[in-house]
Amino acid sequence: MDDSIRFIMEDLSGPLLQGTLASLKLIVCSVPFGLALGFMLASGWVYGNKPVSWLCRTYVALVKGTPLLILLFIIYFCLPSFGLTLSPFFASVLGFIMCNGAYNSEYIRGAILSVRSGQLIAARSLGMSRAQAIISIVMPQAARRALPGCSNEIIYLVKYSSLAYILSYIELTGAGKMIATRSFRFTLVFSIIGLVYLVMVTIASIIFMWLEKKLAVPGFEAKRQ
Amino acid sequence: MRIRKFACLCLCLSFLLCASAGFAATKYIVGIDGDYPPYSFMDSDGKPTGFDVESVQWIANEMGFEVEIRPTAWDGIIPALLAKRIDMVYSGMTANDERKKVVDFSTVYWEIDQAIAVKNESTATFEDFMAGKLAVGTQRGCTAAEWIEDNLVKKDVLAADKFRLYDSFPAAVMDLEIGRVETAMMDDMIVLGAIKGKPLKIIGTIKTGEEYAVAIRKEDTELKKMINEGLSRLMASPKWEELKAKYEMQK
Repeated sequence: MDDSIRFIMEDLSGPLLQGTLASLKLIVCSVPFGLALGFMLASGWVYGNKPVSWLCRTYVALVKGTPLLILLFIIYFCLPSFGLTLSPFFASVLGFIMCNGAYNSEYIRGAILSVRSGQLIAARSLGMSRAQAIISIVMPQAARRALPGCSNEIIYLVKYSSLAYILSYIELTGAGKMIATRSFRFTLVFSIIGLVYLVMVTIASIIFMWLEKKLAVPGFEAKRQ
Repeated sequence: MRIRKFACLCLCLSFLLCASAGFAATKYIVGIDGDYPPYSFMDSDGKPTGFDVESVQWIANEMGFEVEIRPTAWDGIIPALLAKRIDMVYSGMTANDERKKVVDFSTVYWEIDQAIAVKNESTATFEDFMAGKLAVGTQRGCTAAEWIEDNLVKKDVLAADKFRLYDSFPAAVMDLEIGRVETAMMDDMIVLGAIKGKPLKIIGTIKTGEEYAVAIRKEDTELKKMINEGLSRLMASPKWEELKAKYEMQK
């Protein structure tokens, strides 16, 4: 027992802390762009003209249909032959944004479709342009409705950020794996890594719940018994 | 009534299955790294082959047991052995002290050094490598990784961000060709195999005096005896030279 505590304090805590910070860096850099890409894809799909809509659909179908690991390999190992050599960090972030955006777009598209088309017509009859109506009437409502779905996807991103270690970027899982292979204490190391992820996901969930409450429009909240 | 009949049938079937498994010749599962040429790798048909794989198949044939070759993730291969998912690791494994604490090793069948590869056009020298001037890539959990960590990273010779770890050595070689790392370090035979036909060269080797042996669980003394006997028979037979020639392993 003493031995385990010494192992955690001396060998494990430093690298795991660095790994956690590296993971957070990945997540924080991916989330905003993933959300932005999701909004662009969803509105392109629903409101774009034929070529734009078709382009968005193809992108979502392609990215959803490819395992993230394969996508990361393509970005990391194949792009250099086309002259684009990304560092492990940027290659991972690009992969995460592409994947996160594709999934987010589906939640956002669902939210956009749930806003009645009559609202768009009403806004137009008040003299708003189509773009104005979409941006100031439909999107604010859609964003609120898409929030629970997107928060799910972002929580998922926290966990799939661990794939960055395959591209030699040492984040939480990679740091833990290195220590585990040297010390053979797999159970202990992976249990602690699991706990760290659990804490990160819990914090993310709390933030999103707070955000949902904060953004609720008085009188339009979901009815609760 | 019907359910009872069905349950009986299931019971009978499961007995039959267990019995048939019991009567078959003893079968051992051999864990290998599926991407570790020339010792163990997948051929163009997706079947495991290599110097070590052919060796263990010859030994199994000679000693009268069956083997199933199972490619296993290298950085989890010892836990897989301890958890009895595999019965031995026969895949260019260095018998080092850290591993000897948890598993037993057979007699040594091969000795190796660590080689350092760079691009053909590179002017980097072995001294540059030892001074920590070059970004280096290797496979996670292998001896080269441990050597670099102990001798270069922990002594602050090599910056931690210049030390890059991959899932397999070919991935490190690919990144060497792309130019993200300046050198790749690994067991000499592996490096020779990996740079064949590529614009890469070896700038030096580090003598680590590593010895390859077969890893077996500590309690499996019978299996260890059998493997040791098989290894000594193999190394005395003409097959040994034949395998060395086939996989170009003459030093």
